Formats: sequence, structure tokens, C-alpha cells
Amino acid sequence: MAAKRQVPYMSALVACNGGCREGKDGQSCSYGCVACSLCVAACPFSAITINENGVAEVDESKCTACGRCVEACPQQVIHLHEAGNFIAVKCSNRDKGVDARKQCDVSCIGCGICEKTCTAAAIHVVENCAVIEEKNCLSCGMCAVKCPRHAIYDLRGVLTPVR
Amino acid sequence: MASFHVNGKLVTPSKNQKLLRFLRDELHLFSVKDGCSEGACGACTVIIEGETVKACVPDTDSLDGKNIITVEGLTDWESQVFTYAYGEAGAVQCGFCIPGMVMCTKALLDKNPNPSDEEIRYALRNNYCRCTGYVKIIAAVKLAAKIMGDGVIPAKRTEDWKMGSSVHRIDVEEKVLGYGKYPDDYVLDGMLQGAVLRSKYPRARVLSIDTSAAKALEGVVAVFTAEDIPGENKVGHLKHDQYSLIPVGGLTHYLGDGIALIAAETAEIAEKARKLIKVEYEVLTPVRNIEEAAAADAPKVFDEEKDNVCSYKHISRGNADEAIKNAKHVISHHFETPWTEHGFLEPECAVAFIDEDEDVFVYSTDQSAHQTLHECRILLGTDKIKVQNALVGGGFGGKEDMTVQHLAAMITYLTRRPVKLKLSRAESLLVHPKRHHFEMDFTMGCDENGKILGVKAKVASDTGAFMSLGGPVLERACTHAAGPYNYQNFDIEGTAYYTNNPPAGAFRGFGVTQTCFATETLLNLMADKVGITPWEIRYINAIRPGQVLPNGQIVDESTGLVETLEAIKEDYDEAVAAGKPVGIGCAMKNAGVGVGIPDTGRVKLIVEDDEKLHIYAGASCIGQGLGTVLVQIVGEETGLAADKIVYERSNTWIALDSGTTSGSRQTLITGEACMRACRELMKELNAGKTLAEVKGQVFYGEYLAKTDPLGADVPNPVSHVAYGYATQMCILDPETGKIEKMVAAHDVGKAVNPISCEGQIEGGVVMSMGFALTERYPIVDCKPVDKFGSLGLFRAHELPEIKAIVIDKPGLKVAGGAIGIGEITSIPTAPAIADAYHRYDGEERYELPLKNTPYERKW
Repeated sequence: MAAKRQVPYMSALVACNGGCREGKDGQSCSYGCVACSLCVAACPFSAITINENGVAEVDESKCTACGRCVEACPQQVIHLHEAGNFIAVKCSNRDKGVDARKQCDVSCIGCGICEKTCTAAAIHVVENCAVIEEKNCLSCGMCAVKCPRHAIYDLRGVLTPVR
Repeated sequence: MASFHVNGKLVTPSKNQKLLRFLRDELHLFSVKDGCSEGACGACTVIIEGETVKACVPDTDSLDGKNIITVEGLTDWESQVFTYAYGEAGAVQCGFCIPGMVMCTKALLDKNPNPSDEEIRYALRNNYCRCTGYVKIIAAVKLAAKIMGDGVIPAKRTEDWKMGSSVHRIDVEEKVLGYGKYPDDYVLDGMLQGAVLRSKYPRARVLSIDTSAAKALEGVVAVFTAEDIPGENKVGHLKHDQYSLIPVGGLTHYLGDGIALIAAETAEIAEKARKLIKVEYEVLTPVRNIEEAAAADAPKVFDEEKDNVCSYKHISRGNADEAIKNAKHVISHHFETPWTEHGFLEPECAVAFIDEDEDVFVYSTDQSAHQTLHECRILLGTDKIKVQNALVGGGFGGKEDMTVQHLAAMITYLTRRPVKLKLSRAESLLVHPKRHHFEMDFTMGCDENGKILGVKAKVASDTGAFMSLGGPVLERACTHAAGPYNYQNFDIEGTAYYTNNPPAGAFRGFGVTQTCFATETLLNLMADKVGITPWEIRYINAIRPGQVLPNGQIVDESTGLVETLEAIKEDYDEAVAAGKPVGIGCAMKNAGVGVGIPDTGRVKLIVEDDEKLHIYAGASCIGQGLGTVLVQIVGEETGLAADKIVYERSNTWIALDSGTTSGSRQTLITGEACMRACRELMKELNAGKTLAEVKGQVFYGEYLAKTDPLGADVPNPVSHVAYGYATQMCILDPETGKIEKMVAAHDVGKAVNPISCEGQIEGGVVMSMGFALTERYPIVDCKPVDKFGSLGLFRAHELPEIKAIVIDKPGLKVAGGAIGIGEITSIPTAPAIADAYHRYDGEERYELPLKNTPYERKW
């Protein structure tokens, strides 16, 4: 898929995987993708669709990292990343773990297991949500395998299922 | 339970486990190397569903139905192509990373048959190599792609096994296909697993050790403490100050000190037992750095020492004070260089068992099997020991000391059972000696033309928890601080301090990497002051044949510093003319131990029953290619075809001690001994005998590199039999501030295998690009806090262009003129890069790693 462009190439990534649900006390995630489809409309390359989890998903083979979806997203859950770094956090929930857990099935709760696991000091919990510094990341996926919330993904679908 | 295909065969693991463990422990697919088990190194890379995956990451239960390929599963064609390509490109050194690299190569080429250089580098970026600097691995991938496309494997560049010929190394195939054995690849019947309980505190007194619960655990065969040691507890290269196990009542010296040694049926049981050992400590204030060690009321690291001074050197010639006083230009500065971790890809491991002679037999990964033998004898108090080098997955100085070898030998000696003792990567980072942190004050005086008149310096190093080679490292740092220049007033005082940090010892460059940074940086500043270029100030001062070094030695005809300066001149002028920031550094490095210490090479040549000539040298190939060098020397001297020559890995019962792989000495010292042995053989062959007719006869060659001790009462002492010289240059991209190109010109006397020599240069340069820019080994309160993946080792996609220039200059009368190359490749790099950044942004930098560069790490 990389043949058409020079590496390292960038792609948009939606940092939400659509596990949002309304909790018992009425809480729900206010950070995630709301399936407004503004990104879908903004994308000149038809690279974005709303997937079966009800969230936007980017087809990296079509994406050119033009950034229009990033600008269009009212929730600011889309960012550009280096497509070759296939380990990604797909959550943007910045609420405290106890709340984030209630709001979503696959939310990052800021537990820090990924941070302790990472050999490369590439993943850190920032405002209750894991963030990968891609320059440091060795794409091993140990964080994805260890994440108790399945909030971190191998975008290739090898180490984790692609949801 | 998951089932999946490995190399086409359906398999079901016995239990859920990491894929790496399953592949190695149950399927015995030993090409899948265990370099860290934490996702960093990439040595265990396999291909799952067409994608590269580090096998230490996924659990087997997550792989149901997947297709997995290891190097063992390559087709014959792929095996041949990769073996040829990696051999032809000179991409194999220690070989530990290579199967992982081969997997990356296959995964890339399967998807993209014609990858660009960028795409190749990118495909290798998650796998570390510490030997090659990636340059030749990238070339191998490119070559493999071409051959895959052509469908034909071309002839090798040369099959002429003479000196000066870039033949494929002898160990290419076993390393590319992953069947060559490192100690961890030996699995013996009834083999126990060893583990070490280490100190909880860097400095504490051990009050009691209770091993009863651990011993009672089922599957635990033995738990040993200091009182079980049959011989002497303390071992060490020179000074025996390294405790094998800390006794009750004794002080701990760092967090890596062993308290108890466990032998159990499985690694899991050994780990459980480790947690069951109860140790009472009296926790004491640790000595955390040089300043604390040197303080008047400092706590002592050793009960048995009078203070924390491990070693003191004062070297003086001429009158540096007077020369500096009368100098037109004087510059003084304080410099600091950091601790550095070797980061060899293969963690320490030893396998021991009782052999048919009732001897303790040790398979070791070390830099001298004879040193391991010597220290095992001390610990066990017996001579009934044999040591055999397995493949060694890199050393760089970090495998000169005892870490696991002696303890594995002790378990076998006491239990009579085979055992494997292997360090986890975290233990490895803690336990083996590092590159010394140095604090240095230098003053240099020059005349109005830039001629150096004198240098005066005071340096201090943190040698940590035991001496290791801290004394010689300090000495080499001091003797070489003068630089490769012609002046006669030099004074340096150096002190190495014990602290409760991890130990520091040998590391490629052996102290010179540190002081060279100071001297060369001062020289660059001096050039500005005088108003000439950094190139010119070096050309003015460069030592030339027949001149006298600041240490008093008259250098011989092989001295080629000027040639290295001239070799980079065109690149230098071009970059300067293009307005690019350019930095430069020079260095010299001894080949051979020198300074009056007996330094002997010993080689036996024996025609064995296979009617081939076997080379027995008690000298370790740690990845640099000694075996190939010796075969080429034999080829040159005897005219025998390579298939008639067999290199035997170092052992201690046939091969005689040919010294440690240290001090860039093997090519020269063992090489010359090998030549002498060849001459003995040739007497017979020239008399008309055939190899078959001299079967069983031993042809022995010995070479003593004779030198004068420091302070010898002669006007011009010979400190070393040979020096290598180098000039390296760094060119920055003026837009991005990143390194655009490194040029490294090295005078090697005679390159026995030029492509291997280039590989050494590229590897050394990239290693010291890390030293200069990215590498760190932070120690907080005596505890190293980084993991392997955050040490900041350079990665394949971060590389600039690296141009290696190998210069042959005859003049050395031994070893066919070959001077060692191993260490000097890493020495002038950091000051060259520092100078380039000075030209880039005007900021003078006196500390490594350099600050305010695009390479600085976030987090």
C-alpha cells in the first residue's frame, strides 16, 4: 500500500473506537466521535466512512494526510500520524478512569499499564488518556497486548483485532 | 487452546505463553533470538500473516489460525539469496540481529519487490543492530531485491582468500539462517535454569539470608550463598574486588550484587524461589557520584579500602604549565561525558555441564574464554574447568567481565547438573560494566600560528561498584588525551572513584572517547581563535612519521593521520563552500594493550582427521570477524584454498591464551602469531610434504608485542606497538539541522578484509552518533532507570549518509601491516558532531549527549 508514496507517509487517524454507551447514572463520553460525518464530507479522497461501531474510520491507503478531516472534526478526535507506526491509541477520553470506564467499553482509563510496559518510553498517560510519541515508538505492540481496556490497536490487525 | 501454522506446520502450544517462548522452548526454532523479551530489539522478529511481529509480544492464544514464518521456514531459494546478499554486502557481524533483519527483508520484498533506500530503512526501523550501523544491512536488502528480480545469484565479488580481499565472512550462513549457536541456543538434557537474587539496595550491610523457603519449593535444586563458594569469592580482571556473592556481614556495592544463586528445574520455579529468599539489610547511605565519593567524610564503598579512590594516574612530559603560560592563545573548559550502555544485542548467557573428563565445561559468550577460565578457577578453586566460546552476540567491551559464566560454573560444579544462566535484558543493563562517566578540565595553549604548545588536564571518572578495567581505562584516557599531535608539553592527572553505581569498565574506545571529546573540542575552538580552519589546525599539528608524540614515542612509517586528513579534504572543502555547517575530529588509538604489559598472541595450526588445517587461537571473535581475518591470513601465507582451512572458535584446552578481545588487538597480535605459525607449517609444505602428511602435527606461532611501561626511564618509550589514526567529519543540513553526511577516514595499515573494515567504521560511527546525540543511561540514586528501547540507540531510518574511507598505509612490520580498527571508529565522532552544531547555531557544547539538536528525545 505504500508503493504510491514516499515513506514515511502520514495518515489521518480517528482516536475513538465507538464503545460509547450510556452508563447507569446517565454518563456518556463527551470526547469521542459522534458520527456527524463532517469528515466524510470533507475528505476529497473518499477515504473516510462511518464503520459498524458508528465511528469514522480512515482507509489509510486512500488518505493523503491533507488534514481537512482534522479541521472539520468538531470533536477533535482526528489527528495525523505516521502510517507506518501501526500501533495506535483509539480513544480520546480525558475523564478520570472511573468515569471513562462507565462511559465506554473500550475507553482508556489512564491506568498507566502501557506506560510501565513500554520499553521505549514512547507512551504516556496525558490528561487521563494514553498518548504515543511516535518518534520513540518501536511499534512492538506490547502496550496493545497488555491494555486491559483494548483501547490500543495494531492497525494491521495482527496483534489485536481491528474493530 | 489456539492452533496455528508455523512454517507450514500446524502446531498447538502446551500452554498459553509468549510466542517467542513457544518457538524457542517447544519448537526449538533457535533463529528466533531472545534479545530483550520486551519488544525493543527485534531479534525475535517473525512474520505473521505477511507482517513483521516481534515474537516476544503476542500470546500464543491470540494467534489461532494464523500463519507464522521464521527464518527456518524460508524456501531454499530465499535462504540462498539472503545468505549471498548479506555476505556480499558485508552485512553480518555478531549476527544476533540478523535473523530478525532477514525476516524484515522478506516481509518487505514480498510486498514491494523494488523498494527504495528510504523504504528499506523504514522497513528495518524497528529492529536494532549495534554492530553494523545498518549501512550494509540496507545494502544487503537492496541486493536481495535485485537478485530476487533477476532470478539468478551472481558470482561472489571474489573467492581469493588473501589479505586485502573482500571475501564473504566465514560465519555468514550460520548467522543469516540462524543455526549458529549462541549459548542460549544450547539445550541439554536435564538442564537446570539459574537465577540470581540481587541486592535490594545499592549500599547496605547484609545482616542475614534465609533461603529455607526457597529451598523447600518443589523443583528447586539448590540455593547457594557466599558460604557455598568453593574458592575465592572475589574475582576481577586485575584487582579482585568483584564479589561473586555478598556474604552475611558484607557490604553491597550496587544493585547488581548477587546475594544468592538459585538453580531450579525451570525458569519459572527459579523466579518463584528468588522471591522466597528473605534477606535482612542494614540500609546505608549510598555514594552516588564522583563528588560524593571524593568528599572528605564520604562513606566507603568497600570495607577493605582506605577510601573511594580506585585508581590514580599522573602522566607528565615536558612542562605544560610553562608552555601554557607563554602561549599566545589559551583556552580552558570543563567537559562531561555520560555513562553509556553497550547495548549488544545478545544478553549475557552461559551454559555449563560436566563433560566426559569430569570437568566443568562452560559455553560462554565473552571476550576471552581464557579470562573466563581464569576467573572460574578462582571462584571454584579447581583447574577442572574448560571454556568454549559459543557465538558471541556483540561485546564492545561489555563482555570482558564475569557476569554469568562463573556462577553457571559454580552451579554445575556443586550440583553436577547442566545449567543455563541467562540475564534478562533489565539485569544486563544493570550488571555488566558500562562506559565511564567522565568529568574533565582541560587547558590548551597554542602559538599565534595554531601550533599546540602544551595541554594540561585533570579528569575524574566514576568506575562504580568494582574496578573491572577502570584503572586501564583511566590510564588510556590520560595517555591519549594529548591527541595525535606533535608537541612535547603535556600533563594530566586522573582519578577513578568507586561509587555505588553500576560498574564501569571497557567500552569501545576505552576512555579515549571521553578525553578525545575534550581535546578535539578545544582544538576546534582554538582554530577559531587563531583564525584558521579546524582542518588547518589539525594539519599543522598532525603527527607525522619520525616525529615524537606527547608521550615520547617516536612514531613509525605507518603513521597516517595526515593521509586521513587529506582523504576528507575534498568533502570538507565542498561542504564548507556550499555553506554547510561542518565539524571535524581526529583521533589515535593504540592497537594492542601496550605500556609494558605482556601482550601475547598464540596460534596453533593443526591438520585434523578431515585433512584440513584447523586454526586454534585462544582469542574471541565477538562479531568483528576475527575468524575470517585469520583464515585470510592463513590463505595469504600458505596459499591453501579456503575450503582447506577451518577456524575453530576459541577454547581453553587446545587453543592457548591469545589475550582478550580488547584494545583493538586481535588482528595485529593474534594475526602476527598466526603468520608465524604459518611459517612453521610452510617449512614442511615447502619441503614437499602434503597436508595429509603433517596430520596431527602442531604448528605453533607466538608473538609478544613488547612495549615499555609508563614512566620507563628511556628518552622515547614505545608505549604501543601500533596506533591507528582517523579523521571524521560531520556535515549538517543547514535547513533541518540534522546530519546530512558523516565522512570517516581511517588509516588501518593494511585492511585484511576491506568490506569488513568498512563495516567496523560504519558501526563505530553510528554508535558514537548515539553517544554524541541520543544515547543515555540515566542513573537515579544508583539505579539505572531506562529500558533497552529508551537508551536512544540509533535506528535504521534515522541514519544520514555514512562514507567510510579505508586507507592502507604500509610501515608496520608485523601482521602484514594490519592495525586494529575496532575502537578508533567510535572516538573522533562526538567532537566532530559537536563542532558541526557549533558552526550551525553558534552554541558551544561541552557535554554529551549534545543539547538543543533535532535529535533530542521528547520523554
